[in-house]
Order: sequence, then structure tokens, then C-alpha cells
Amino acid sequence: MQFSKKQRYWLDFLFVMTQKEIKARYKHAALGFLWIAINPLSQMAVMGFVFQFFVPVHVDNYFLFLFAGLLPWNFFAQSLTKTTPAFFYERNLIKKAKFPRETIVLSIILSNLFHFLVALGLLVAALIADKLFFEHYSFLELVFYVGRMLWLVPAILLLLSFTVGLSLLTASLNVRFRDVNFIVQLAVMLWFYATPVVYALNLLPEWLWPIFYLNPMTFIIELFHHGLMGLPVTLLEFARVGLLVIFYIIYLGWRVFIKESKNFDDWL
Amino acid sequence: MTILKEEIIRRNKNHGEVVIDLKNVGKKYIVHHEKQTLAEDVGRKLRFQKEEEYWALQNLNLQIRKGEKVGFHGPNGAGKTTLLKIIAGISAPTEGLVKTKGRIISLIDLEAGFHPDLTGQENIFLNGFVIGMSKEEIEAKFAQIVDFAGIGDFITAPLYTYSSGMKLRLGFSVAIHASPEILLLDEVINLGDEEFRKKTKISMDRMMNSGLTIIIVSQWTDLLRSLCDSIFFIELERQVYF
Repeated sequence: MQFSKKQRYWLDFLFVMTQKEIKARYKHAALGFLWIAINPLSQMAVMGFVFQFFVPVHVDNYFLFLFAGLLPWNFFAQSLTKTTPAFFYERNLIKKAKFPRETIVLSIILSNLFHFLVALGLLVAALIADKLFFEHYSFLELVFYVGRMLWLVPAILLLLSFTVGLSLLTASLNVRFRDVNFIVQLAVMLWFYATPVVYALNLLPEWLWPIFYLNPMTFIIELFHHGLMGLPVTLLEFARVGLLVIFYIIYLGWRVFIKESKNFDDWL
Repeated sequence: MTILKEEIIRRNKNHGEVVIDLKNVGKKYIVHHEKQTLAEDVGRKLRFQKEEEYWALQNLNLQIRKGEKVGFHGPNGAGKTTLLKIIAGISAPTEGLVKTKGRIISLIDLEAGFHPDLTGQENIFLNGFVIGMSKEEIEAKFAQIVDFAGIGDFITAPLYTYSSGMKLRLGFSVAIHASPEILLLDEVINLGDEEFRKKTKISMDRMMNSGLTIIIVSQWTDLLRSLCDSIFFIELERQVYF
């Protein structure tokens, strides 16, 4: 692929900004990159311990179920809460220089994506090792097992684009209305319980299911559960509702960003 | 209406094409006496209250040619910084057209784009990108930038260990190596210790005598007269609607 000079600059710039995000995060942490694994593992241990007693989820391996949902959810929640005030935090930069503003939001998301992919990769490797050495899968079984994991690719792409769209929207709006940041913090907290991460959808009465698909994260998390554990997507025909919401949010986020970013300087 | 009165100091005949062209440019700000919240905004819209407006620039026409050294002078609030921001592309005009040609570097805040936890070397890349240099350019000029900044071994240390003078040195060094075609200065920079001031003076003099287009905003008319080919005096004369 050939890039124009402008595209090259944009990509290089995004790369350097992302690198800054990743490097700066672990600069003074003695355990450094180990935190990528320690964080979600301890979260899973605590939550698994607590929720096992309260939520009668009928899945074989609740801890794995929890981990498979928590990884993408954490990526989403951490990205959204960190990007929403990002333009405001980087006001010094925005007020002094002309550069592609979207890189501020994208670099945060990409650095989170990097952490997410590392953790996911470790999980996938552990799962495959388990099937290979402890459950003694035959070659064919293993091919099917790994083949199903290919569902993770669309799942990651959907998760990433939804996060980018929503982050651009909230970050752009937050420049003018600082309430947005508080709304997002609150919403993410509630949103977590409106998404089947600690429970499975089939635990709820059936008439509620379609409503849950208005939340795009339901379909995305279920895709992760399917790819990693083989659990079915509860209502496949409603998945397109989730897809529509995702595409609309991306469109809206981009439009609002384009319109607002011209005047960021006035409001910061 | 923003009125510009031009004072020509020396006529330089060799000026080429127009590199900055402003046509009927206006910039409107919304005045808030307190930071706006969503509830207030919705409340005001429901009561059909109009937002308080303030035109920092209005009906401004300006052409600057390649190689010109232009000064702007005016009282506080006359819109000098707004003008620089619009030329630099940091802020978009509310009305009118802005056309510029060539890379614009503004020496407004030299430390913008620095991250305290990254080393001097990493910050050169970050800051270089922020002001619009490409990766190849930064790599090609890296040694020169480090050399000009002259901060020794600190270049591999994180920025929070730097003194404020060292940060300025590094910022200035990156900016002047960005090979700008249009240079924007908000007040003339006077930074660092004696030795570095000499260095900056030499490089500023060199830029002043080169084909670079330079725009300086300052309160000091004497200084502007000594440096510029022409000075625009911005006069405040506009109606403010409340």
C-alpha cells in the first residue's frame, strides 16, 4: 500500500503518541509490563469469588467466563473513561499547535488495545495449551477449537470501532460541556451491569433479551464468549440491532468531532 | 470591524507570492462569565436567551507576501493572539477565508508537546511531530537539535529532571530546526543563560535576514520598528452586542 506524505505523517504521529502513552504508563512501575496480566487476573479472582455466591450462572467454568468478558469490557471502560476528558487534559497542546486532534483520543485507545491484545494473547495461549496437554485434544478437535477462535477477529474489530466512535463523541462534547465526563463515569458503572459480563443472558427472563441488544456491548461480549468458550450468541437475529447502533455511534462520533474540533481552542 | 493601520518602515521590493491571505476574516467568541454546564445551556435555550457574543476580529483583510517581516501592535484584547492562532490554523475563523502556504511554526509555547516522564530524545520526536515535522526530517536533524540545545548527558534523562531553562533550550532547538517557511512569534523570545541567549540571537538574526516570512506580535513598537519591514497597528473599534 502506498501512503501519501500526509497519511505517512498521520500514521507516524499516531505511532509516536501511542508509544508515549504506553511508555509513560509503566515508567516508574517496578513490575512494569507485568501489570498487564496482574490487573485483570486479580480482578477476575476477586469478582469470581464474590459473584459465584450471588449469581447462579450455569456455565462450566465461571472464572474463564468472567475473564473472557472482563478483558474486552475493561478495554472498553478504561478507554472511554480515559478519552472523555483527554482533549481537556491536553489543552496546552491543543491551544499551541496545529496537529490532527483525533490522535489524542486514538493514541489512548491504541495503547489500551495493545494491553488488551497482550492479555488476550496470553489467555488464548493458555487455553490452547490446556486443550493440548491436559485434555489431549486430537489434531482435528484442535483445528476446530482454534478455528472457532477466529470469531475473536470480528469481535475485536467491532469492539475497537465502537470504542473509537463513542470516545470521539464523548471527548468532543466534553470540551464544551464538562458534565459529560461525570455522566460517562456514572454511565460506565451502570453499563457494566447492563452487559452480560458477570452473568449470562439466559439467566434473565426471555422478554428482556431483545432490549439488551440495544446495548452493542451485549453482542460484542457474547462474541468473545463464543470465540473463547463456544457459548452461543443468545439472539443472533437481534445482533443486527447492535451492529446498527455501533455504526450509528461511529458516524455520530465522527460528525460531532469534525464539527467541534475546529473550535476546540475557543472552549479550552 | 478590526482596523489595521500600516506603517511601512522599509520597502523590500523582492517580495514574492502571497503566502498568507485573509479575506473578511471574523472570529466570534461566546462570552461566558462562568464555565458552562449542560444544564445551564439547556436552560438558556429553553428560555430563548441569546448567547453573549464577542467579535475578537471582524472584517479583517490582510495579505502577507513571502519574505516579509511584519509586526503587529495593539492594546490588550485587540485580537493579536487570535490573529496568530487563525494564521497558525489552531483556531478556525467564524467567517471569511484563510489561505496560507508553507509550513508555519509558532514560537508561542516552546514546551507544548513535552511529556515529563519521557527522555529528552523521546521528547524531541514527540515535539517535532506536534509542530508538523515528518519522521525522516526529525531523524535527519536529530544530531543538530541535540547539539544546539547543548544540555549534555541530560538528553537521555527524563524531562522532569530538567531545569526550566533546559526545557526551553530543547523546545527552541526543535522549533528552529523544523525549517519553517512562516514563523510566528508572540513577543520576541529571550531565554536561557547568557551563552544560550547569544546562540538564539545569532539564529534569530539569521532567520530575520533570510527569506523567511516572519510575523511578530509585540507591545514594543521600538523593537518592532527595528526588526520589521512594516507594522500593523490594530485599533479597537467595534460594536459589542450584549
